[in-house]
Amino acid sequence: MLSENEIKIVEYLKTKPDRTASAEEISKALSIPISSIYSLAQLLKEKGYVRTEEKKVTKYELTEEGKLRLQNGMPEERLIKILNGQNKKISELREVLGEELEIALGWARRKNLIKIDKDTITPLVNDYHSPELDLLRDPSKIDNENSKQLISRKLITAKQETFLLLTLVQDVVETTKAITYITPEILRSGEWKKSPIKEYNVEAEPPFYPLAKKHFFKEFLERLRDVMIELGFTEVNGNYVELEFYNFDLLFQAQDHPAREIHDSFMIEGKGEIRDEELIERVKEMHKKGWKYEWDENVALRLVLRSQTTAVTSRVLSSKPKPPIRTFTIGKVFRPDSIDATHLIEFHQLDGLVIEDGFTFRDLLGVLKEIFYQIGIKEIKFKPAYFPFTEPSVEVYGKIEGLGWVEMSGAGLLRPEILQAVGINSDAGAWGIGIDRLAMLLFGLKDIRLLYANSIEFLRTFTG
Amino acid sequence: MVTIVVYKWDIINQLKIKESELEELLFNLKSEVKPVDQDHVEIEINNDRPDLLASSGIIRAIKGLKKLELGEAKYEVKKSEYTLSVENVDTRPYAIAGIIRGIKFDEDKLKELIQFQEKLHITIGRKRKKVAIGIHDLDKITSKNIVYKEIPLNYKFIPLNGNKEITVKEVLESTDQGKQYGNISVKNGKTPAIMEDDGSILSIPPVINSEKTRIELTTKNLFIDVTGTSLDAVISTLDLLTTNLAEIGGKIEQVKVLSAQQDFWSPLLKHTTMRIYSDYVNKKLGVNLPTSQIVEYLRMARFDADSMSKNEIEVIIPPYRVDIISQIDLVEDIAMMIGYQNLEPSTYKLSKIGNTSEKTLISRKLRDLSVGAGFTEIFTFVLTSDREIQGDYVKILNPVTVDYTVIRNSLIPTTLYFLKQNQHSRMPILVFEIGDVVIRGNTDTGYKNSTRAVYAIMDSKVSFEELQARIHQILYNLKINFSYRKSEHHLLIKGRTAEIIRDNSEVIGIIGEVHPEVLEKLGIEYPIVISEIYVDKLSGDNE
Repeated sequence: MLSENEIKIVEYLKTKPDRTASAEEISKALSIPISSIYSLAQLLKEKGYVRTEEKKVTKYELTEEGKLRLQNGMPEERLIKILNGQNKKISELREVLGEELEIALGWARRKNLIKIDKDTITPLVNDYHSPELDLLRDPSKIDNENSKQLISRKLITAKQETFLLLTLVQDVVETTKAITYITPEILRSGEWKKSPIKEYNVEAEPPFYPLAKKHFFKEFLERLRDVMIELGFTEVNGNYVELEFYNFDLLFQAQDHPAREIHDSFMIEGKGEIRDEELIERVKEMHKKGWKYEWDENVALRLVLRSQTTAVTSRVLSSKPKPPIRTFTIGKVFRPDSIDATHLIEFHQLDGLVIEDGFTFRDLLGVLKEIFYQIGIKEIKFKPAYFPFTEPSVEVYGKIEGLGWVEMSGAGLLRPEILQAVGINSDAGAWGIGIDRLAMLLFGLKDIRLLYANSIEFLRTFTG
Repeated sequence: MVTIVVYKWDIINQLKIKESELEELLFNLKSEVKPVDQDHVEIEINNDRPDLLASSGIIRAIKGLKKLELGEAKYEVKKSEYTLSVENVDTRPYAIAGIIRGIKFDEDKLKELIQFQEKLHITIGRKRKKVAIGIHDLDKITSKNIVYKEIPLNYKFIPLNGNKEITVKEVLESTDQGKQYGNISVKNGKTPAIMEDDGSILSIPPVINSEKTRIELTTKNLFIDVTGTSLDAVISTLDLLTTNLAEIGGKIEQVKVLSAQQDFWSPLLKHTTMRIYSDYVNKKLGVNLPTSQIVEYLRMARFDADSMSKNEIEVIIPPYRVDIISQIDLVEDIAMMIGYQNLEPSTYKLSKIGNTSEKTLISRKLRDLSVGAGFTEIFTFVLTSDREIQGDYVKILNPVTVDYTVIRNSLIPTTLYFLKQNQHSRMPILVFEIGDVVIRGNTDTGYKNSTRAVYAIMDSKVSFEELQARIHQILYNLKINFSYRKSEHHLLIKGRTAEIIRDNSEVIGIIGEVHPEVLEKLGIEYPIVISEIYVDKLSGDNE
């Protein structure tokens, strides 16, 4: 019993005068992948319809140098042409032939085309046509014998290729019609009881299927959300366009602080408003006392694309929340930068906030340790750090196999000045985790832009 | 974060430590270190600790950490015969000065001083706007009476590295420093100047010094002027400079500052007293240290500290610790002396039940249904080019590239762009994305995020119905009551476009086939059907 494709192959071979064709030819003619042809050929052979024969053929290909010679001619040929039957000095020839002179002299002498006497070259022939060039022009003329010199001169490379030849040895004589698809009609009529059911090549590779799947990096963000929720945190969200007040001022970042300069955040036209007059007064007071300068409300009203998700934490703080509070946010932040394999101008952060009476620095370290443990980073260490809005401040380094210690998070107890400004009489800790670079490392990606790859084939083939 | 390059053997030899120890010691002082060559290392210094911007400060701090020296480093201070008369300078009102005697420079030490000056300019000096420093060879100054005043721009002197007298105006126009800092303090044709009372210029802050008082390897005595727009910052800067120079053997001498308001001696080297309570420290850190132990840690952090009672400690803040604003800053120093590695993280305690936001809840449901409907999820950027989008959108005033100049106000253009990039991939392509766009809103910024879902099919043959059938099932499974209404959209074919209406009133999305004109403009050679759903309008009473 032959399958549809097997029959197609048999029919094709019938059309050939010697009933023979190569697997490659059949694949092209019938639009069946070459790998399927190999397995079908095996089946047809087992069933006695075809004979197969493996033929080894040597294929010659021109090297870069070979291509160059084809274009410019062989050095020895050029030499003879330049000599044009006259004696010439080596120095004269070098001017024309340059670096190729040595090669030209070597081969010309070997081929007995010239005589060298000290620095004078005497041609022994007036005209020379190198046979190598003919071979390069028509590689089908290259054979086992004449290829040797071409290979040694690095003009060609030889590659062994195997062909599979199929020869039809028995015509198909189908007596009964085999069933391909079992249809409701066939089931109803009971025809399947009379006719055989056609065999499939169940070992062949199937065609492509466009599987629908979730994005690996979105899934990573969801996993982080689950970790935070399992640790008892409530998710909050904020807007991309933010007042400088929440992105900087409330976080005790002085208005002339270098991080607030124009090249460190994206500015947006227009001005916002702060509806809580009392909060403005307190923040003004905080800046005046802490940084000793005149705080300008107009600067605080400017709009930016948030440069840190701490802006969302800022919003939570200013909403007069009643402790105990445990919130987190995961979202995009924006910073001007050059875009390359490790830098993006928009990326994700996870910011967390705990407000609880008696929340200590060691408690904060405990929270951080647990978060990273849940993400799969079991080994971490803490480094003292500086952030305007936290004190004591800490940076978390995590160990990643094959890379060593990587900075992963900035954290600290919220400064009492900030808690006072927002009117919270309790203890608080906060942290931010840069997500994209962490994801890049955990997924083993070499380029951070692949997290946002705009190639569907990458998404289809990347398995996380 | 600022980085400095220092000669490492100075630090290693003075502290008698092994080379390998340096990295860990600096790590515990908030700093990371990277080798530069055999003799030099690059150290990252945090913005709160300008006293560590020179190796003298680093050595002073590590001596405490290693208990080689405890308490404040004390430096002898004498009064000099020099005066600085400060006249009225509008653009840069504050000026003080100090003297250091008996410095022995070598190449590395001189380089480091210049580096220290430059880093102070960048950090505390806000690129010389707030504070600028001039360092001079004292022995090249003839007069003992120095003046700070405004001079006209046609005044002449030889600027540093110059060989002839030129006018201030020419200095501002022809030197690198002049071009970079020239417009900070010049006003009404006048610039501030530090000069001798005979009229010879020492410096024109914040731009450049004079060649006359250039410091060299042979320089032994220094005259330092500091000018600026904030008296506090000016005072701190001179304190930082003089105490760090004293740490490498210089002797501090004060200069008498004469001004219309009052006369005083600078550097001020003012100390402040702060009270800190042991129970506060213990409560903040989550430790249980006796007062004596806390005093010990504070002394390791190079503060003079004494216990006043069982719970109360008096701490003297030295002038160069400009980062100490309140008690909590001392708590961090104590924690650093304990060593963060010795602070055991508390065992995690669950105190509340966590919750996802409404947005995450609906997005998760939608993602599950979307994949079920055969769409592959894509993830594109929020920022895009103004070439791609239409309507009301947020523009960035300072974009870094023409490809990202605005925030998207719809997911349709970014999705079409994605499809354009994938025309040569295996068809069919069914994609979706759930993401935020920014639109106008009644918020305190005037803008708000809006969550959208986009669905698209691209193939050699697509139909409106093919997409509609899938969207229909997704919305049906969200228990939404919805219908379709014929509509128009600038990217879609008229007659093949519909709005999706919830409860016969609210538009919750749009669906249609992309107009060939749009495809042609984008260079897309395959037909596309696309739909955008307003996710914010899907949540609510649909349970």
